[in-house]
Amino acid sequence: MHSRVDKFVETARRELKVELSQAFLLMLSLGAPIMRQIGLSSFPDPAAAEAYSRAVRAEAVDRLPELLEEFERNATARGVQVIWARDAAEANSAILDIAQRRGIRYVTKGKSLVTEEIGLNEHLVEGGVEVFETDLGEVITQLLSLPPFHLVGPALNVPPEEISAVFLKKGIISEPTTVPVELGKAARAYLREKFRHLDMGIVGVNVAVAETGTFINVENEGNIRLTKSSPKTLVAVMSLEKVVPTMADALHLVRMVCRNCTGQKLSSYVSMDTGPKKTGEIDGPEEVFIVIVDNGRSEIYRDPQARQILRCIRCGACANVCPVYAKIGGYPYGFAYTGPMGQVMNPLLLGIEACSDLYRACTLCGACSKICPAGVDHPSLILEYRAREIRLKNGGSADFRSRAGKALASLLSMVMGSSLLWRLGVKCARPVLNRFARGGYISGIPTGPQAWFGCRDLRAMPARTFHEQWQDLQAGSGREAS
Amino acid sequence: MNQDAREGILNRLKSAPRNNPDARPPKPVLSETGLDREGMLERFTSELTAQTGTTYRVQSGEEALAVLARIAAEEGLRSIIVAGKALPGMDLKAFGDREGVAVTAAPETADREALRQAAFTADAGVTFADFAVAETGTVGLIFRQDQPRLVSIAPPVHIAVIPVDKLHPVYEDVIGQVFGETDHIPSQFAFITGPSATADIQAVGFKGMHGPVKVFAIFVTGRE
Repeated sequence: MHSRVDKFVETARRELKVELSQAFLLMLSLGAPIMRQIGLSSFPDPAAAEAYSRAVRAEAVDRLPELLEEFERNATARGVQVIWARDAAEANSAILDIAQRRGIRYVTKGKSLVTEEIGLNEHLVEGGVEVFETDLGEVITQLLSLPPFHLVGPALNVPPEEISAVFLKKGIISEPTTVPVELGKAARAYLREKFRHLDMGIVGVNVAVAETGTFINVENEGNIRLTKSSPKTLVAVMSLEKVVPTMADALHLVRMVCRNCTGQKLSSYVSMDTGPKKTGEIDGPEEVFIVIVDNGRSEIYRDPQARQILRCIRCGACANVCPVYAKIGGYPYGFAYTGPMGQVMNPLLLGIEACSDLYRACTLCGACSKICPAGVDHPSLILEYRAREIRLKNGGSADFRSRAGKALASLLSMVMGSSLLWRLGVKCARPVLNRFARGGYISGIPTGPQAWFGCRDLRAMPARTFHEQWQDLQAGSGREAS
Repeated sequence: MNQDAREGILNRLKSAPRNNPDARPPKPVLSETGLDREGMLERFTSELTAQTGTTYRVQSGEEALAVLARIAAEEGLRSIIVAGKALPGMDLKAFGDREGVAVTAAPETADREALRQAAFTADAGVTFADFAVAETGTVGLIFRQDQPRLVSIAPPVHIAVIPVDKLHPVYEDVIGQVFGETDHIPSQFAFITGPSATADIQAVGFKGMHGPVKVFAIFVTGRE
């Protein structure tokens, strides 16, 4: 996928003014966390369920190389052809090659974030293979060439008028309609013919299981089951961190991903594939390929701080609770991954220096890490990236400014540690600071921290401190009482 | 080249500093574990109802056919496709002749193309299911020669017939049986919970996106 992270600020500014996006984000940020809570409350002890899924993901990442080998061994033993791809180009050309060798004219696809990351659709189309996304949200974003608005619901914000117009243009409907159900039914009818005559399907993977070589897909629409059932050839694309030790582990993660994603206890369909169809079976794929995509992840794995992002299970719950996402929506993130997990993942895939705006657009409130069922600590990584960016800018060594900054921080912490020093300091600093105030705001101090003021203003200080005003008030009310 | 990629990726992963995983906390308990049969049936019914599905309880194959006839009349079913191991007393061919419903036995279709033709045009798919799970009102299907995959996903209505002794409290009870014997793991196993659904446009939810619009579960309990 072509990155538009460099347009973060302008896209965010534009989205803040789009009424429909704003109305929808308000609804999402109020409603989704409640649905999630209701879903989790079906566990007798939700905290224990969360602790367990975090432990499963932590262990899976710690044991990643051995689990991948075990998964490959078991999948291969059951007739799956495993393909390893170091980067996007290798994965894309392997999949196009599978299609071309079989004379495939079109494929249907189940929703898969990693295929968006590697730009698979574009590559297949350039190679002469037509691609039909089949998840309703993905159908819409594909036809309108839109980036994802949300990890799970990529087209939730798109006005029905726009969907109607593009459906008309593509011949999916013959009369305009803005009724969501009618648009959905039209997409159903349109894609049924594609499923029925399908020769090759492409899906992602929610969880891969080492002990059996099984891959699992979680969905509500049925497009993935149709894509896996109808054709002779099936390709499953997984980023390499998806593997867990056992089926029992996978089931617990499925329970957690559904509750955190949509608040459901279970999605309509959970399908578990272990090898191609057996002799005598009428449908199901004759050949199954699993493409294991690295695309930078083995380097992330070697990075002790960043490694934890590989625990993510793509439920999208972090976006639903993020105060920044709730204002700007998914477009500014500029890549396949939106919300806090995107803020943490995209810089690793696209480069720390290219994503400065992403990890600066964070208040460090910690709502994301608090609810993450995989145990990712997003704020700690966001702070880490900020520090790395500064180190990169300084050529890797601490310069005079950062040493001065450190000294200043020590001084401040001493002053803030003592109420006497603090009050004294505040009293003295006020008149000095206020000399730089313009129109009630201090936007910079000539010899002060320019970078700090680069994205912040300070309010001009009132003449009297809060403590002083409070004492005045107390004295005043005391008089009234007596 | 692929071997190079494999070695490259695995070597990089193996050369990374190794963390030893912490001991896991205790496995979380589930409220459904230990439910008795009546409790399981109640839980299954309320969960499937919440997904707009309908649950029936009958004592025999003959009674199940009567329920099937009622569903066929109410839904206006003129053709059904059938898969799985039929329960005693459930001769669906004879049922079709009697009720005026065209019945296709999925395992008897000639090939993939014939099966697709039948499954994508049938008004309903009837499956004799392998398992049911009370936890979420879920039906479990093992796909194999006599249970092709399309029967339960392509037609707009799915009717699952389940012997009540195949109903279990939680997923693990079923997964242990399906995946326990490593030499007999099916090519695909699916959990099905209610109809196909979406809410991708304006978060307006509706049933019947790509798969069935309606789901019925018929439990056959035997004479009590």
